[in-house]
Amino acid sequence: MNFLNPLALLAALLAVPIILLYLLRLQRREQPVSSTLLWRQVIMDREANTLWQKLRRNLLLLLQLFTLLFLVFALIRPYVNVQSQLSGKLIVLLDTSASMLATDVAPSRFEAARAEALKLIDQLGNNDQMTLIAVDDAPRILSTTTNDASQLRASLNDVAPTLTTANWSAAISLAAGLGGEGTTTIVISDGANAEDMQLLQGAARYIPIGSSGDNIAISTLSLRRTVRGLSAFVRVSNNGAQDDSVLVSLKADGNLIDARTLAVPAGQSATWTINAMDPAITTLQASIDQAKHNTLSADDQAYAVNVNNTMRRALLLTRGNRFLEQAMSALPNLRTTRAVALPPASEQTYDLYVLDNMTVTLPANANALIIGTQSVFSTSGTFSNTAYVRTETHPIVQDLDWRTINVLDIQRVNAPATLRPVILTQGGPALLAGEGVPMRNLTQLRRAVVLPFELRRSDLPLQIAFPILMANVVDYLAPPQGLNVPTQVRPGEIVALPEGAVVQPPGQSPVAVDARGFANTNIAGIYGFRLNTSAASEAMNGGAFAVNFLNPIESAIAPNPQLQVGNATTNATVQTQLTQREFWNVMAVLALLLLIAEWWVYQRGVPARLASLGQTAQPAPSTPASTK
Amino acid sequence: MLSEAFLRSLRNLRLNPLRRRSGSLTGERRSVRRGRSVEFADYRNYTPGDDPRRVDWNIYARLERPYIKLFEDEEDLTTHILLDSSPSMQWQDEDEDTPYKWRRAAELAVALGYIALASGDKLVVETNGSAGVQHFGPRRGGAAMAELIKFVEGLMNTSSTRIPANVPAMGKPAMPLNDWFKRYALKAKPGLCIIISDLLDEGGYEEGLTALGSSRLDLHVLHTLCPAELDPQLIGDLKLKDIETNRTQDLSLDDAVMAQYRQRLSEWTAAITNFARRRGGRYHLTDTSLPMEQILLKDLRRETWLV
Repeated sequence: MNFLNPLALLAALLAVPIILLYLLRLQRREQPVSSTLLWRQVIMDREANTLWQKLRRNLLLLLQLFTLLFLVFALIRPYVNVQSQLSGKLIVLLDTSASMLATDVAPSRFEAARAEALKLIDQLGNNDQMTLIAVDDAPRILSTTTNDASQLRASLNDVAPTLTTANWSAAISLAAGLGGEGTTTIVISDGANAEDMQLLQGAARYIPIGSSGDNIAISTLSLRRTVRGLSAFVRVSNNGAQDDSVLVSLKADGNLIDARTLAVPAGQSATWTINAMDPAITTLQASIDQAKHNTLSADDQAYAVNVNNTMRRALLLTRGNRFLEQAMSALPNLRTTRAVALPPASEQTYDLYVLDNMTVTLPANANALIIGTQSVFSTSGTFSNTAYVRTETHPIVQDLDWRTINVLDIQRVNAPATLRPVILTQGGPALLAGEGVPMRNLTQLRRAVVLPFELRRSDLPLQIAFPILMANVVDYLAPPQGLNVPTQVRPGEIVALPEGAVVQPPGQSPVAVDARGFANTNIAGIYGFRLNTSAASEAMNGGAFAVNFLNPIESAIAPNPQLQVGNATTNATVQTQLTQREFWNVMAVLALLLLIAEWWVYQRGVPARLASLGQTAQPAPSTPASTK
Repeated sequence: MLSEAFLRSLRNLRLNPLRRRSGSLTGERRSVRRGRSVEFADYRNYTPGDDPRRVDWNIYARLERPYIKLFEDEEDLTTHILLDSSPSMQWQDEDEDTPYKWRRAAELAVALGYIALASGDKLVVETNGSAGVQHFGPRRGGAAMAELIKFVEGLMNTSSTRIPANVPAMGKPAMPLNDWFKRYALKAKPGLCIIISDLLDEGGYEEGLTALGSSRLDLHVLHTLCPAELDPQLIGDLKLKDIETNRTQDLSLDDAVMAQYRQRLSEWTAAITNFARRRGGRYHLTDTSLPMEQILLKDLRRETWLV
């Protein structure tokens, strides 16, 4: 045992005044009595058991001296060197991703991880510091670097796992920013889907959580309109190592419409297609009701929204284009009006305008597909070097293969900055798309897609890509529901709803959306919404979106007992180090207890009064012998 | 001092000795000597030298044997009142309103003396104060009553104004109880001896009482203690000062100590009771705050001191 502040031993000198005060303590009130005869007998009775009396006589003094002893002991700050697993500056990365909700370790992986973190906090030495980082899709610091165990515990109690995937690279960047010399990074995780740990700098440790990877998940739920009605497609995946048979039920608008037991072999998936459903249903929920080897319940439900039952209106401005008319008439929920000129502005507006080699002035905030020669954007000649270069990521080119498409020549569009090339050829862009696109007349289009060549000068209308492109473009320009709100949203994702929209989360009260969009998508389920606009059609005015866990990465919850963290593969190896463990607080508590005991003894008074029973008789004047 | 009415109520009382004593004068008490009164007591065989006048001739005629007829002899009784006037008797707790110990003791002495005088007994009163031993009597007859009152009032005037508790010291009595009793026992005529004292003496009381008891005196110990002694209301850290000896005693008083004091007190009085009984005496502990009527007409009569 050593002392950090031995100089405080000088405080022990306070014992001298205590003893002095004790010796000089009592100034007794003098009380004449007729005789002290009986009182002396009382004292003789009391002093019959003298040893105990002598002990008790000084009980208060002893208590006071011991109190002082413990206080001095606390002041000199004694410490012992103890073996600690970790010391110095610690950064704890606590996995709060969805896989931590698995219950293969009771009560859950996350609680086990929290317990491990608490253990680390308990081991924290006096000179150690700890930072807590919760790792989900947006890693965040729970508690800044501190030695305060109670603060660390409090912040640890506040954290809960989310339905998201852990973003380990962001967490490691965060840890690297906080770390420095002598920092030890501790990863508390199930190790599922964590592969970026090599980037960790400095010492690192991995505390694995979890025992089993058994999990049955709904990995796909899709809804589509076919000629036979609405059909749903469910895929159930078995991420575990044991075959299972799973009872899956399907509810439409809250009513059970079908249930089926699916045999799902280990590591594989089973599918189920339900055809000819009522096209009028709006929501669909698939859930796993029974499964033997299922430890994660977050992925046992999936939701889908049927948005294809509202009509969109399109105005096709063309002098006649059979391909275009055919393609648009084949699209569901789209009513196409053909015209050769723009109707007067007072008449009804359209969700979407298609310009086929027409030079018209479009109304402001319109959505437009502009094909071929046009007057909306300025052009500067044509180019014929149309060999395919690459496709940018964009909704309108989903599932589209441009490599087989040949175009004779393409107009070079002087595109504004918001109109971005989507398909690039060697000579220039072959397809452009953008939002908030200014036209020549300085008004804006809300959304625009530009196909800068005449359809008849290419083989595009003959290709399978054409209907796909048209469907994508129409869905992009006039989304099935208002303002291109996606029907499928991941938990935590921000839904770009305009300000003023009202969202109805499942089982909660409606929330008004502010300028940042709707971000509170943490619960899986169907979210209805209503826009605060006077849009052209009912379809543009409201709808619903489904927040789905549907995350094959987090559904694969098999724990990884060994993980590459830092520059060495570490597991739960224990590296013991010496750390100083102070215990002045114990001493202070003991001193306080003694002080309370001393007060109690004083209040009780018994020993206090006994303490002064010592006879301090003055020598009595010698008795004159009476001889009378 | 005492009211006429109260004294009148005492007139019919008699001191009740435990044994019959022989006196020198014919009084109103039955004597152990067979004598010349008219009350028949017994017969005994004639022995030569007996007064032939006392032979019961009727018996002789019937039995032809001489018997002496014995009669109760009626005699007077000497009543001794030893009134302790040591400083402890004259002490008074400062917050007491009741008649203080010395005054009550003096009144008791006067009342008992009056009863003795009124019943024709011979009365001797002696006190032992810081001023020395003072003596009254022997006197008999109601006429001595006024002198007795004068004597006791004289005592109260000389030595016993009310003594506040905070006086530094009273000094010692002229003589310790034991010495006083032993000295008195040497000269005392047999009779009834009433000791009015608190018996609070450093030297104790045992030797003195033994001496008195063996001088053919009926011991009547009237133990006078004031409330401050019977049930002291002291608390806290005190330096107790004995007003007789100036001795101090540091004491921290709490309930436990007070309980121990009370137990000690009852043991002490029980010891005195025993001591007096074994010497054929009586003992009565009286609280000096009680009224005279209570002490004399109730308590002492109940204990057959007075009949």
